[in-house]
Amino acid sequence: MTDDKNIIVSTQNLSVHFPVRGSLPFKKKYVKAVSNVSLNIRRGETYGLVGESGCGKSTFANALLGMIKPTEGKVIFEGKDLNSLSKKEFKQTRRNMQMIFQDPYSSLNPRFDILQIIGEPMVIRGGYTDEEIEERVVELLELVGLSREDLHRYPSDFSGGQRQRIGIARAIILNPSFLVCDEPVSALDVSVHAQILNLLDKLQKQRNMTYLFISHNLAVVKSICDHMAVMYLGKVMECGSTQTIYDNTLHPYTQALFSAVLDIDVDNKRERIVLQGDIPSPIDPPAGCRFCKRCPHAMPICSQKEPELIEIEPDHMIACHLYSGEKE
Amino acid sequence: MNEELMLKLRNLKVIFPNAMGIVKAVEGIDLDIHKGECVALVGESGCGKSVTSLAVMKLLNTPPALISVDEQVIDGVELKDYSNKKMQSVRGKDISLIFQDAMSALNPVMTVGKQIQEVFMTQPGMTKALAKEKSIEALELVGIPEPQRRYNDFPHQLSGGMRQRVLIAMAFACQPKLIIADEPTTALDVTVQAQVLEVLSKMQRSNNTSLLLITHDLSVVANMADTIYVMYCGKIVEQSPAYELFKKPYHPYTKGLLGAIPKLSDERHVFIQIPDSVPNPMNKPKGCYFHPRCPHATEQCRQSMPPLREISKGRKVRCFHCMEECEK
Repeated sequence: MTDDKNIIVSTQNLSVHFPVRGSLPFKKKYVKAVSNVSLNIRRGETYGLVGESGCGKSTFANALLGMIKPTEGKVIFEGKDLNSLSKKEFKQTRRNMQMIFQDPYSSLNPRFDILQIIGEPMVIRGGYTDEEIEERVVELLELVGLSREDLHRYPSDFSGGQRQRIGIARAIILNPSFLVCDEPVSALDVSVHAQILNLLDKLQKQRNMTYLFISHNLAVVKSICDHMAVMYLGKVMECGSTQTIYDNTLHPYTQALFSAVLDIDVDNKRERIVLQGDIPSPIDPPAGCRFCKRCPHAMPICSQKEPELIEIEPDHMIACHLYSGEKE
Repeated sequence: MNEELMLKLRNLKVIFPNAMGIVKAVEGIDLDIHKGECVALVGESGCGKSVTSLAVMKLLNTPPALISVDEQVIDGVELKDYSNKKMQSVRGKDISLIFQDAMSALNPVMTVGKQIQEVFMTQPGMTKALAKEKSIEALELVGIPEPQRRYNDFPHQLSGGMRQRVLIAMAFACQPKLIIADEPTTALDVTVQAQVLEVLSKMQRSNNTSLLLITHDLSVVANMADTIYVMYCGKIVEQSPAYELFKKPYHPYTKGLLGAIPKLSDERHVFIQIPDSVPNPMNKPKGCYFHPRCPHATEQCRQSMPPLREISKGRKVRCFHCMEECEK
């Protein structure tokens, strides 16, 4: 991929490893949460990141925002390498990247009222009077569909969907240009999903924000994302334009993910690929291709050699021996 | 499926009085489940689905709950006046329950094998050795690899999907006639959800058990249920054979629920959303409970609660305007 001006965030060979507590010092074990991930996210788009629990999606997001120091590799945000910045510069840059959390029940402080919760980023930034903060908070509350009366209520007074709106208001109060949405709807009821997704869409159009949208629901990713990457055990298996991947799904894992999506289309029953087993432990990932243990098309080479991510058609990359040309 | 009724529930009401007022959790619902049929009860959080399942099992503490029911017949036996002690002989043998959160439903300090064995031991004339053999067999039936070894594992050693399988194994252990599954896949990943649903429907078909599936996600039931009941604020708003419901939903709430589900085949779109959220159960609106969120509400809806009318064979809808709506 090229480094054109349109790219707002990119990672280069990003890896995050966590040491396993209690492993022998001379045989130190690591949880390889993210291994060698390079992605480019373009300005104004929604980038989807898909995978099962434990595949490293959230760790990747945390490393992207500088909340975890990567073991290897770089995160480049608007042309600056996040890890080479001084503390002060980092704080300034970080204002432009915010996050919406998965669980709206645990991400809001129950002892803060709504004004304190949403206004906190402005307090941390400093230089605003109380009136300015209140005015701005009310403006945002109205933007996300709540009202001035809610200003002094507490999180426990709100439903899950409303709490998620509060979380969104808090994330966008400093006008960030990049927003990480870490499974923003998976803790909510299906009927509320649509409200939150529509709100995110509206905000993106108004403010020209870029989203990294993390989800395990491919149907959601398919309908809102421009580009997507499929992760498995810390590695990118397939990435590219969402439409291209949907039209021409090549990786067996992506195929299984697509077929696991439950559809309400009762006329059109699809053949379902049900993957056997669970995702293996990231402490000792299988040798070769990480998916080989569950792959219905596994060949001898898959358990010996790790496939490289190769470009198979414009805007579509895939890491699989089925397409790498190596059969032996 | 035959015409004999497995469960016949008439006018079930559950209320919880508290210091602030009365919560009417379930307001007179009728439920019919035929032998070998899979019935789904669908609705948002707080609509009373789980309370219904607990009331059928008589697992609600009274007080605080007040339960009244006109008829509660399971396989020809009237259970309305059964005491808690008498119910003990019915639970597990005739009806059993699969809980939503497998981690908290299993005893963390007991091996999963022992927990399944406990269910078998309730049967008359059962020996320990035979119960162990049967437990291992049960683990194998739900697709747990190496059941001999897993028998001695504790719940924390299993993954989420495996724990849910253990619960399924326990529920089917004594070959009950009716199984209630309360959100069996909500806490799971999509690929694991597909596995668990497959196991559940395989077990149901091979034992010819009746299944009551409780969920908030219509897409989960699209391929499993024969009949669907949609519940809103403690009342049934629509009842229909599954296929017809997906083809042509009548109630505006059902339409909203279906519209909120992203479909893979759709182009990038704005989701149809149901505005606002479920009303406070202590302060339900006058008239039709859905009218504040309904796009077609009229004065009549604001004043009185529509009856559950039969509009064609097996289809009932609680709406004044559903017929005119469908003409358009």
